[in-house]
Amino acid sequence: MEDWRRIDIDAFDPDSGRLNAEDLTPPNLKVVSASEIEPRISQLRSAATSGDFASALQLVTNDPPYGADETTKTRYFEAVLSVLTQVRQAEIANLVKQLSLKQVDVLIKYLYKGMSVPEGQKQGGILLSWFEKVTQNSGVAPVVRYLSDRRTV
Amino acid sequence: MSQSLRPYLTAVRYSLQAALNLTNFSSQVVERHNRPEVEVPNTSAELLLQPMNVSRNEHEQVLIEPSVNSVRVSIKVKQADEIEQILVHKFTRFLEQRAESFYVLRRVPIEGFSISFLITNKHTETMNTEKLVDFIIDFMEEVDKEISEMKLFLNARARFVAEAYLGEFVY
Repeated sequence: MEDWRRIDIDAFDPDSGRLNAEDLTPPNLKVVSASEIEPRISQLRSAATSGDFASALQLVTNDPPYGADETTKTRYFEAVLSVLTQVRQAEIANLVKQLSLKQVDVLIKYLYKGMSVPEGQKQGGILLSWFEKVTQNSGVAPVVRYLSDRRTV
Repeated sequence: MSQSLRPYLTAVRYSLQAALNLTNFSSQVVERHNRPEVEVPNTSAELLLQPMNVSRNEHEQVLIEPSVNSVRVSIKVKQADEIEQILVHKFTRFLEQRAESFYVLRRVPIEGFSISFLITNKHTETMNTEKLVDFIIDFMEEVDKEISEMKLFLNARARFVAEAYLGEFVY
């Protein structure tokens, strides 16, 4: 028989006050399905191929799909990563300056996500120069907000 | 400092500055315990913050896992070939065996990384946080230099030994 002394009885108590990751994500996130994300991805790609990175970046940072499931987020993220890596080094500083505080917070999320997956790590240099420009503009604040924000991209 | 190293180190510096904001926090599960929440199998997700991954390429990365009262910083040192793998392993092992004298060093690195640091609220209370960040950045700079220097010495020594030894067989 299982050692009953080691059973964690608090886990069975609904009033124990323990929180798991699902409890922490805000409840009213807009659900974005895979079919809704496709037009946004193609919009991103067309903006990037026509060289209009300013509007592509606005698209990326304005309404990130917080409520989507993991596979949809990954699909969208691949498109975002390709946009970020296509921008030339010299233009980055200018593009970052056009973003508002909220948009910078979203951008930082994408940068950290990019550096945590193998596809992004191959492009580490360019992601790091984005990161550098962001911190030159707004200091450590976006990083702090990233730490405590439970809405992931 | 090389062109691509600088943004890497500044990114790590900013991430650490943001993460090293720790407070004393007693365990919510065990009475009269005060343990680093990032290290224990955690039942309360609210104590852990978003992990930060800073990477220069696939071989050089830093993972920073913040929590309410502790931060775990893991560094993956560049290992280009087998000699460097051995050197990094020996070097980090040497340091880890003397972990008490480094205070913030973790005895075992976490999976996939070469060396880990564990900074708790005790450390930030007794030491200067800025200096702690400086220490980690310095370490990252120095360890690369150290490893490539050791590799050069090793090669020079191997050549010398081979010449001395094989010289016997030259007629």
